[in-house]
Amino acid sequence: MVADHLTIVEAARLIKRKELSPVELADSRLARIETLDGQLHSFIRVLPDEARRGARACEAEIMAGRYRGPLHGIPIGLKDIYETAGIPTTGHSKVMQDHVPAVDAFTVTRLKDAGAVIMGKLATHEFAFGGPSFDLPWPPARNPWDTTRFTGGSSSGTGAAVAAGLVLGGTGSDTGGSIRGPAAYCGLAGIKPTYGLVSRAGILPLAFSLDHAGPLCWTAEDCAIMLQAMAGHDPADPASADRPVPNFRRALTGEVKGLRIGLVRHFYTTDNEANAETRDAIDAAARQFAEMGAAVREITLSPLAEWASCGVLIMMAEAYAIHEANLRTRFTDFGEIFRDRMVLAGLWSAADYVQAVRRRRELIDEFDRAMADLDLVMTAAAPSEAPKIDAVPKFAIMERPSLTMPFNVTGTPAMSVCCGFTAAGLPLSFQIVGKRFADATVLRAADAYERATPWRQRRPAL
Amino acid sequence: MTRQELDAALARLGLDVPAQERDEILAAAHLYEDMARRVKNPRWVGAEPAHTVAFPEQ
Repeated sequence: MVADHLTIVEAARLIKRKELSPVELADSRLARIETLDGQLHSFIRVLPDEARRGARACEAEIMAGRYRGPLHGIPIGLKDIYETAGIPTTGHSKVMQDHVPAVDAFTVTRLKDAGAVIMGKLATHEFAFGGPSFDLPWPPARNPWDTTRFTGGSSSGTGAAVAAGLVLGGTGSDTGGSIRGPAAYCGLAGIKPTYGLVSRAGILPLAFSLDHAGPLCWTAEDCAIMLQAMAGHDPADPASADRPVPNFRRALTGEVKGLRIGLVRHFYTTDNEANAETRDAIDAAARQFAEMGAAVREITLSPLAEWASCGVLIMMAEAYAIHEANLRTRFTDFGEIFRDRMVLAGLWSAADYVQAVRRRRELIDEFDRAMADLDLVMTAAAPSEAPKIDAVPKFAIMERPSLTMPFNVTGTPAMSVCCGFTAAGLPLSFQIVGKRFADATVLRAADAYERATPWRQRRPAL
Repeated sequence: MTRQELDAALARLGLDVPAQERDEILAAAHLYEDMARRVKNPRWVGAEPAHTVAFPEQ
């Protein structure tokens, strides 16, 4: 009998000792998907045959003494914007529901090479942008902590599937918070790595200059394992950084002593005012870091609306350019949320876009100056617990400034970390942010915090 | 933005937007105008955008 919930680290330890068969593990997840996903809708497409075939191959290799590492035999899911050879990759959209790629995305190849078992393709907001939508070929994913609640988006299926234990980890993408939002609302760890660390090649784009690929898992250590497999230079991605990838897991010392952390409190106390439970939980997390030996001090950046406006303008203009042809010819094949947001982007002028990109340079410079005597920044990842799924406004991303978008603008690594629960039992979260290519420091702080607090012990009751 | 301006913009874009959705888009247009205003703060005429291309040395 396989436990309902296992971290990647826990499962890998058992698999390595040959105390858990990858086939048994994959079968247990398929059974769990069969039982639970009817209410969660986290999968667009389950791949039982491929999963069992992959798990059997892993088992044979391991039994023959060829253990590849901590992802070997681990069941994961892929957001359905990651291209998979011979398997439809739809972007959760009618517009691409028949799209069958010829080759895997670079990151999918890397994850397979590390031994991961692909369980299926996960729900997303339409083209990683429009949702939660009820007028698409597949329903929106629901939050395992309360299925009347929003998962966050756009990596909605990944958030739901990992939190529910249907997979042990999954891939996401993040253009304005699409990894960190679902991680926050679903009580997970999710890292948006430094821009350029993980290849975007073979991933359906939302906005070229803001898109990041990364993992969502139960813990920071699991994220480190998945990120290790996903990261690395890829000439097919013009933004891919050609530099050595550090050993992320080795950086997880459990220590934060001496780290200098800037707390951007005005983002969630005035600029996008968080509710009391969220504010208290983040303030408590900051105190926890201080008790662990970090030097925490409050800092001030430009108002959140400045960062969000810059990011949203760039994101939507680039997205409009990508989808312009289909919007002209197949407007109502898109979901209403996606297409109406895109119409607004059509009203942007070329000068608006250039002004936003000029503002981006100023904001990046400002952030780099702020980080000159800091190692990390922390702030909120979301202003509250997950809202009701039917209470998300069509133009939500423009109505309240996003707490996650600033770090897409800067391209710096940023991670959501669970920091407690509301009285009603819904997860709360904060965000921790590092310098460019200091992803290991972000993971180290997140891991140390998770080890020092009890929040990873609690799972959704399903 | 007025409804006529929106209709004209949609015609120029070649987008066939249902009438009810036009009303909602019009009601949200100020959100875009607010954002566009925020990124136009005064700056030196030569202030560069973030994505100025730097070609690698051959």
